Amino acid sequence: MIKIINCLAVSFISISAFSQTIVIKGGEIYTGLNQESFIGDILIEGNTILEVSTKSLKGDVVVDASNKIITPGVIAPDTQIGILEIGAISETRDGDSNIYSMGFSVYDAINPNSTLIPWNRSNGVTSAITLPDFNWDPLSGMASFLLLDGSLRVNGMPDVALTGEIGALSSGSRAESLILLRDLLEFASILDEKDMASSKKISEAIEDFEIAELMDLQPRDVIALYNLLNNNLPLIIKTNRASDILKLIDIKKLYGLNLVLMSAQEATLVANEIAENNIPVIINPFDNIPDSFDELASNIRIAASLEKAGIKVMFSESRTHNYHLIRQGAGNAVANGMSYTGAIMALTSNVAESFNIPERGRLQQGMKADLVIWEGDPLEPSTFPSKVYINGNDMDLSTRSSRLTERYIDKRDLPNTYK
Amino acid sequence: MKKFFLLVFSLIIAVDSFSAFESTYKPLESEKVLFINGNILDGEGNELLDTDLLIGNGKIIALGKGISIDDKDVKIIDAKNKWITPGIIDIHSHMGVYPAPSVRTSSDGNEATSPVTAEVWAEHSMWVQDPQYALALKGGITTFHVLPGSANLFGGRGVTVKNLQRNTIQSMKYPDAKHSLKMACGENPKRVYGNRGQAPSTRMGNFAGYRKAWIEAENYLNKLEAYDAKSDEEKMVESPPKRDLQLDTLSDVLKDEILVHIHCYRAEEMALMIDVAKEFNYKITAFHHGVEAYKIADLLADNGICGALWADWWGFKHEAYDMVQANIAIVDQARDGKGCAIVHSDDERGIQRLNQEAAKARAAGNKAGYDISKARAINWITSNPAKAAGIYDETGSLVAGKNADVVLWSGDPFSVYSLAEQVFIDGALAFNRNTGFGPVSDFDVGIVDPREDRVND
Repeated sequence: MIKIINCLAVSFISISAFSQTIVIKGGEIYTGLNQESFIGDILIEGNTILEVSTKSLKGDVVVDASNKIITPGVIAPDTQIGILEIGAISETRDGDSNIYSMGFSVYDAINPNSTLIPWNRSNGVTSAITLPDFNWDPLSGMASFLLLDGSLRVNGMPDVALTGEIGALSSGSRAESLILLRDLLEFASILDEKDMASSKKISEAIEDFEIAELMDLQPRDVIALYNLLNNNLPLIIKTNRASDILKLIDIKKLYGLNLVLMSAQEATLVANEIAENNIPVIINPFDNIPDSFDELASNIRIAASLEKAGIKVMFSESRTHNYHLIRQGAGNAVANGMSYTGAIMALTSNVAESFNIPERGRLQQGMKADLVIWEGDPLEPSTFPSKVYINGNDMDLSTRSSRLTERYIDKRDLPNTYK
Repeated sequence: MKKFFLLVFSLIIAVDSFSAFESTYKPLESEKVLFINGNILDGEGNELLDTDLLIGNGKIIALGKGISIDDKDVKIIDAKNKWITPGIIDIHSHMGVYPAPSVRTSSDGNEATSPVTAEVWAEHSMWVQDPQYALALKGGITTFHVLPGSANLFGGRGVTVKNLQRNTIQSMKYPDAKHSLKMACGENPKRVYGNRGQAPSTRMGNFAGYRKAWIEAENYLNKLEAYDAKSDEEKMVESPPKRDLQLDTLSDVLKDEILVHIHCYRAEEMALMIDVAKEFNYKITAFHHGVEAYKIADLLADNGICGALWADWWGFKHEAYDMVQANIAIVDQARDGKGCAIVHSDDERGIQRLNQEAAKARAAGNKAGYDISKARAINWITSNPAKAAGIYDETGSLVAGKNADVVLWSGDPFSVYSLAEQVFIDGALAFNRNTGFGPVSDFDVGIVDPREDRVND
């Protein structure tokens, strides 16, 4: 049961796609690895990359990518794609649970027909992590991974990470949050396989641990906690203040957590400690505003500083819907000192590696064929993709937005409703 | 006799109120600077490659190839392979009224206690030590317009500010710039007041609210004008109508002394707002946000109304759902290019890179089939917002005689990699990326490390 939840990697293969191979010729390829770009060909069969080479490759379908740039599909690590349609309409949001905390999975709520999917896909995002709402709880629900292929049976992986938040509170103390985090982890650490044998056993364990009962934990929540310690489930903690980051590093060491920091606007002050402990960091490269007293050291050069310290960096975008703007964020990170290759990795392979997403995020033999052919420099926000492949499928790039544009630049003398 | 004193007293008040909170702005000491061989986007639709620009005494003196000047005091800046634009202007900012840190105690942008608060002035809320101004300056912002929020039908007066941080708001105010009146359509007012069980709770309630207020303003203005028309003898015995701060603002709109800026997303609401303006005979300067402006782009062009828009924001509200990335381009190109498009930020991060937002909007427009040059698109963040703030005669484009508000960019301002290297306000250097010269707000001093300023890049 526990293992199933953690390891259920759903990856349907498009059967018809096996019939012919596609070769993408002559593009400038960024593999998502820490290496220089090169001009080469990419051979795809079905959903898989057969070969990436500087030599000329042959295939049934030839796609000319000369003078274009090819990257792995962008993987957005901090989104609510599929569980949010309109911010101000709570009925269109599915990011919160009243009953469950750590055991809350958003996976079943994902709407593959959400307009956010074609929109972000048409801007080069091929997959995403979708996260439950942050509620200032030190531990809350679980994030899922999904491909932006719009498949009605969602292609993805449920529950790839647990989430939580530590920092300034309008009432109460961050000390309380940190103590609660320690207590919950302490509870998780004393659980063994016998405790997890059945829901009844789990309920007994909850009764035996006062804070677990006080928090009204459900068996599902306990399973998530157990996975956190025993199955290396990544824990995304949204936090900003340097001193909070250090406390979280202490807790990571104590319990062997697979910690991922998010926001982390004061990370530059403790970059060496973060690097020494191999903690990936998701940052918003635009955010140099000292929005709160937790982020006074926020700085536009954060991406460059963290990269220099040897930290695996990923990008987020603070506004909803346009998660693809992490590309523009990456461009700004480069303009402020980050390496270009590092910025491409931040958009692709760093996310796949940090969240254990197999076979994605890199353009290499044997990887799934999620890739984007860009009309120009992908880090320029005025560049658009010319083609987007997900699992080897050449995706349609139309969106509700492109349809409305066509309708309103059509100058025929007709009501728009008849165009 | 007593009445006479009353009259004199009230006249004094009237005169005082006219000049209240007047700008005391003084530019920094300007230099004579010759930029050599720069690529210039002048804000008038021209791209001038390898061209020189001479500024001095706070003004633009000349643009042209091979300007030679026999003056040992002139500072030469080699602008080869660099780009020069007018100072960037943001027509929709909440810096100062929603400063950083965004704590409740300094969150002063929205007097959301009544649907009509035309009496409040944004400048009375502005915190001059907001660390956000300096960050915006590093993005080339030389002038910005601060508006009250959008909770109310009439949110109050907005103010145009020079991005030269000083310790009084009067010393930052753009001299003689008109105030704006902030109005708001749609979801925000009806949500804020509807949730309290009071009017407006619907869009039709919004419109009733606008019209009721304008009727009162008309009556007030009629009374003021009737009093003005009286003879001196009559004025000796009759007191003037009692001053009303709210109606002062609204009647100033009717007298064309205040510019109307309206937060409005939906096409049909903008069309209705245009009719309200016609009903009460005032002019709308700009619709802000206008996610659906593209649906009525011709109507906006026909009425000389600017669309102050985002490049790509959408989805946070139902009225912001029909986003098209070509929105700005469609508004710009309406009626064969007679449209007025503005890229605005409404955001403390966006204001730092309005050039990138313009780049996205231009790219989306050209993808949709237009052929919009950089020289045209730069107007969206320079001359067009200057027009919408009523300061175009003085700034917003690089024309001899205008204020020398100038940005020197490290490269093409439509590239994500280009940064503002030097920013001049009224011919005075306000920021130099290479030397680290620039403003540091009191907030930033020693707050993380007592020996240093908060952000030191």
